[in-house]
Amino acid sequence: MTRLNSNQIIALLLALLSVGYLAMAWQIPAFPLPRPIDSDLFPKVLGFTLLGLAVLLFLEAPAAGEPQPDGDTDEPREPLLLRPWSRVVVTAIALAAYALLLVPVGFVVASTLLSFGLAWYYGYRRHGVNLATSLGVVLALYLTMTRVMEVYLPTGILPI
Amino acid sequence: MDALNNLMYGFGIALEPMNIAYVFAGVFAGTIIGMLPGLGPISALALMIPITFAMEPSSGLILMAGVYYGAIFGGSSSSILLNAPGVAGTVATSFDGYPMAKQGMAGKALAIAAYASFVGGTISIVFLMMVAPMLSKVAVAFGPAEYFALMVLGLTAVVSLSDKSLVKGLIAAVVGIMISIIGIDLQTGTVRFAFGSSHLLDGIDFLVVALGIFALAEVFYMLLRGGGGKEQPRNAIGSLKLSRSEVGEIAGPIGRSSVLGFFTGVLPGAGATIGSFLGYSMEKRIAKDGDTFGKGNIKGVAAPEAANNAACTGSFVPLLTLGVPGSGTTAVLLGALLVMGVSPGPAMLVDRPDVFWGVIASMYIGNIMLLVLNLPLIPYIAKILEMPRPLLLSLILIFCMVGVYGMSFSVFDLLFLLGFGLVGLGMRLFGFPAAPLILALILGAIMEESMRRALQISGGDWMVFIDKPISMWLLIIAALSLLLPVVKPMLRKLRTRRTA
Repeated sequence: MTRLNSNQIIALLLALLSVGYLAMAWQIPAFPLPRPIDSDLFPKVLGFTLLGLAVLLFLEAPAAGEPQPDGDTDEPREPLLLRPWSRVVVTAIALAAYALLLVPVGFVVASTLLSFGLAWYYGYRRHGVNLATSLGVVLALYLTMTRVMEVYLPTGILPI
Repeated sequence: MDALNNLMYGFGIALEPMNIAYVFAGVFAGTIIGMLPGLGPISALALMIPITFAMEPSSGLILMAGVYYGAIFGGSSSSILLNAPGVAGTVATSFDGYPMAKQGMAGKALAIAAYASFVGGTISIVFLMMVAPMLSKVAVAFGPAEYFALMVLGLTAVVSLSDKSLVKGLIAAVVGIMISIIGIDLQTGTVRFAFGSSHLLDGIDFLVVALGIFALAEVFYMLLRGGGGKEQPRNAIGSLKLSRSEVGEIAGPIGRSSVLGFFTGVLPGAGATIGSFLGYSMEKRIAKDGDTFGKGNIKGVAAPEAANNAACTGSFVPLLTLGVPGSGTTAVLLGALLVMGVSPGPAMLVDRPDVFWGVIASMYIGNIMLLVLNLPLIPYIAKILEMPRPLLLSLILIFCMVGVYGMSFSVFDLLFLLGFGLVGLGMRLFGFPAAPLILALILGAIMEESMRRALQISGGDWMVFIDKPISMWLLIIAALSLLLPVVKPMLRKLRTRRTA
């Protein structure tokens, strides 16, 4: 069996998505009064269009330079945490944690920690400069948002 | 004379001290953001939306227009200094700008870019003033069928003109529309695709998607590519002065490219990128010394710069007169306007002349700011590029997060932002263009509404879209625009076969 290329895999995922979407579109309740066009028509058209496009994508050859499954990954053997993909994953996890901790911990602390921590993780080693910049920018943002624009940001564990 | 009076009225608004401050702040912030590799006008505008949220609409839009201009100019600066265009619209600038910088003439190239941008912007503002009121008179006659057709054309044009795969562009557009109709259907009150979640009843905010797909995805992409690539050796900036003969040499290219750029910008889907490439190749063909293009010819900097700024202004025409953006960037602007409670369209000229003429006047002022304040500051602003990349990336992340949270106060939206950032990364890696998605996201809901209204009026008869001549022609052009990328390679093959 020949291997699927990246376009074909994405096409299959999109086809699945469109089938699910269509299934949901059929469950959209009808409006009590008869109307020429109800809420379900447009989504149905969209679902079928996406399905058709997925078929076309399946048949299309991927352009050069797009990552392929099982392609040559001549990534240098760096420690696991410092590989490019690890950086994306760690950043994503950090952002999710930030989102969840923002309200209980507060904007200033959470943001400073996020900025300082990530810059450190990305390889910045001048910790003093890092802390000063992170804290400075976050505080400036906080004061502009809360004092000038009167947008509330969670204070969390800080009394201000 | 009417236009002149209106413009004076606009200047009255734009010259209010607060608004001048906004233009300056916008141009300045835009220049900085645009200069950062990868972050272009769309990210710059999206990052600014939370700030404009509480503003007077005219002030907000004035700020945004400044950001837009500044971001394009900032992009040119990094094209010239680093050969790293922050935006697609300034890629053509790097062809001759970077060689000039390597020859120690970065300052000259930057000055030419600033002058060309200024002239391009100014000429096209004059056109905008003349064209926009005329077009909005025509647009008043547009009914829902025509609007639907126009939006279809806008989407297909953006898809077909992107340099990526047609199918992938269409998929991005369809997914964008799908996202836009999540939540309560405003015409029937029916809830669609909310998965029973109360967070999704109002739909997904476009800012979340825009920041995710553009700014956040860009940060992820830079992380994946090893923290934004190698540091390039920086060239000395050198003198900013131009000699008289040089001014004479670039005057022609700037004039021609400004007009060309404006009309490219007005067309849906075209805009700064295509305008700048057209301007560049036109001048290369006309010039006697065309063979020195690409080696540091000053005309090669002047032409694309004039064209891309003119195109930016041109792209305001469909946005302000029809309320239908023709590009990803103007789509974000439309989103910002809607947030501020202004819906652009033919009625805006009558209902909100302060916004319309205020923006036009602020474009003049923004242009002057770019020239007078930004140009001398460029050597200092360029220092930002020396900021350590790790620190920069982590701060951009904070800005994205604050932008979303400050607008919706929802942790849920922050997680969505992250999700869209990852989706945007996938789209970048696998060659899906992001602009159609963002445009579709803005247009999707309005598109459905116009389609349903048109069908309501016609009693469910689909012929309504073909019976009306304007709508029919718009749809025909839309269909043709999709055929273009399919036909073009065939034509090229035929031609090479004939010459062979």
